[in-house]
Amino acid sequence: MKERTIWEQIADSFRSRSIWMLHYCTGCGAMELPPTMTARFDMERFGITPMATPRQADIMLITGYLNTKTLRRVIYTYEQMADPKYVVGFGSCTINGGIYFDSYSTINRLDYYIPVDVYIAGCMPRPEAILEAFNYLMEKIRKGEADGWKRYKENYDWYKQNQIRSLGEVYVHDEFHE
Amino acid sequence: MGEVKLFFGPNHPGMNGNFSVHMYVEGDIVKKARPLPGFLHRGFEKLMERRYWYSNIALIPRICVPEPDINEACYAMGVEKIAKLDVPERAQWIRMIVLELTRIANHLMAVGGIGGPIGLYTAPQWGTADRDRILDIFEALTGARVYHMYIVIGGVRKNMTPKIEDMIWKTLDYIESRLPDYENLIFKNRILHSRLKGRLILTREQALEMGVTGVGLRATGVEYDVRKVDPYLFYDKVDFEIPTATEGDAFSRVYLKFKEIPQSIRIIRQALERMPQSDKVNVPVSKGSALRRIVPEGMAYVHIESTRGEYGFFVVSDGKNKPYRVAVRGASYPQGLYGIEKYLPGTRIEDVPIWLATMDVCAPEIDR
Amino acid sequence: MTSSMSNLVKILEGFNPFVEEIDEKEVKITISSDKVVAVLETLKSNGYSHLSLMTCIDWIDDNQLELVYILFSWKNGGKFLVSTRIDRNDPKFVTVKELWPVARFYEREIHEFFGVEFEGNDDMKPLFLELWDEKPPLRKDFDPRDYSRKKFPDRKYEKDVIKEAKIFRGEING
Repeated sequence: MKERTIWEQIADSFRSRSIWMLHYCTGCGAMELPPTMTARFDMERFGITPMATPRQADIMLITGYLNTKTLRRVIYTYEQMADPKYVVGFGSCTINGGIYFDSYSTINRLDYYIPVDVYIAGCMPRPEAILEAFNYLMEKIRKGEADGWKRYKENYDWYKQNQIRSLGEVYVHDEFHE
Repeated sequence: MGEVKLFFGPNHPGMNGNFSVHMYVEGDIVKKARPLPGFLHRGFEKLMERRYWYSNIALIPRICVPEPDINEACYAMGVEKIAKLDVPERAQWIRMIVLELTRIANHLMAVGGIGGPIGLYTAPQWGTADRDRILDIFEALTGARVYHMYIVIGGVRKNMTPKIEDMIWKTLDYIESRLPDYENLIFKNRILHSRLKGRLILTREQALEMGVTGVGLRATGVEYDVRKVDPYLFYDKVDFEIPTATEGDAFSRVYLKFKEIPQSIRIIRQALERMPQSDKVNVPVSKGSALRRIVPEGMAYVHIESTRGEYGFFVVSDGKNKPYRVAVRGASYPQGLYGIEKYLPGTRIEDVPIWLATMDVCAPEIDR
Repeated sequence: MTSSMSNLVKILEGFNPFVEEIDEKEVKITISSDKVVAVLETLKSNGYSHLSLMTCIDWIDDNQLELVYILFSWKNGGKFLVSTRIDRNDPKFVTVKELWPVARFYEREIHEFFGVEFEGNDDMKPLFLELWDEKPPLRKDFDPRDYSRKKFPDRKYEKDVIKEAKIFRGEING
């Protein structure tokens, strides 16, 4: 890994204090996010808050299984997000397919398509596990280890080739189904 | 001004789950709307054919995420109907308690969650925090917060201890004491009245023609509830009322959900009082491994009343150790697909998330 | 069978049905495919006005597809399962979207998952799947495991016995 300059270290330290999460529930893990966001577990005390648009978001939380149809939109969204960006894989389904390992429409591992910084195991993980994972991600950002977005740029061809292998075509021409 | 194509969802904070509605709009009036489901399609009906009868219990709660227990209950009752199994009485009462607890949890989430699309952000905080108390009961009872896998074929997985019964009594008292606060905060609020009153009105004929069930139908003055019309478990032995309204608008749909919470509390209290004390809560169906259990040939359709309406499982067995076919009737199928196409044109853009939230369009059960 | 249901079964006798009693309130009627719409119309006008579910079963050994319409009456809580069998190689049927508008989407779904053509239903675009390139997935001869292996690679796990033993002894944090 390349050595960071002092300014990059300071920037990383500030970044880790305020990470905005893209508000996109891709799967059933989104069910544990309301308790995490609201009064009981209150993730805002760690500086994490949901954000509506991908352009302003820092983290993309892949909550659970990814259908091929959703994966196309996830790749769209991921490429729209501004650098630096981090991906958290949530639940067993993103790690190895989980209970849907033999399904014909869900993918089996997420880091084959987009780089993942932190995985949370479990089906479904508890809110405490989500907070723990975010704290771990903050630590990684501070140390400069969360470099998934750099890896995506360096290995762009490999990721693209994998995406095309599984999806056939990444871009949706006929979004309106007409 | 011409027509503009507008994509609403799937990646949109006002969207209810991972679902998409594509619209042609003119100004802010919707001219044409098309639902686009399938973002959560996992091929459940195929996966269930590949697993044993018993191991499906672990798979099916994931069909409907906010209310997982209805899946297990439907599936278990369907298999019991084909195999003609008798379930112990205590297990039936426990099932009823679990189903009503999850109904309260889902209603609290829905009543609070209506604050999201209309911009009343205290309500979701309250709703989710109070729902968490019910999830705590589930955690004590089953070991998991969201996916319980508690109702199994032939009964429930383990017995309910007196400590948990005590916990349920206390939580019910707490939730009942909170209801006046909800009434004051949400249903007397000016924002909710001006945004929901008189919007998205369905008449009785339209609702029946569309095939919508649950609160969407009962808000039009029709007293149809599967728990009363075709009673399952012991719903014919307990007293409860079915709240109805006659306006048929979005406000009455949310208010009916709120008024169902005291009725569910009433059912659980009766069930806790009348439940017999016994250790037998499930039947061992076959000797040896429960996984290799064989269910005789036959088919059955079982439906129950979920928070969104009639939820059904159609189970077909060909006499082997795996199901031959399981088809799921998602409760929000009519309002989520046909209703969007038929009744959203003519309304305004901001009414679309209100339709999705008040009609409880649940994307995972449409897609499966 | 309740008395109102057996009365209704008597009315339907002209269609030459095979009646099977599943439960006290659930009756299955099997009829030939040309009489299905007439039977559904009769049942609908007699109170069974709610289409609970419309689905399809693939009987691969008989080389047939079975279409099942489940009708429910809100008046007396009875259920009728109207079923018919069609040829599996060239599955064609008529639409019932005039009787129940929501059937349009059920038919679209069955077309997508089983490949049944519904005459009269003009909207047969894929509903759930996007860019699907195989045979209809819910047919029995489609194997999702093979498809998943071909398209979505698994994670490779290498068994490291020494590391597992260290985790087991608590020397390192797994």
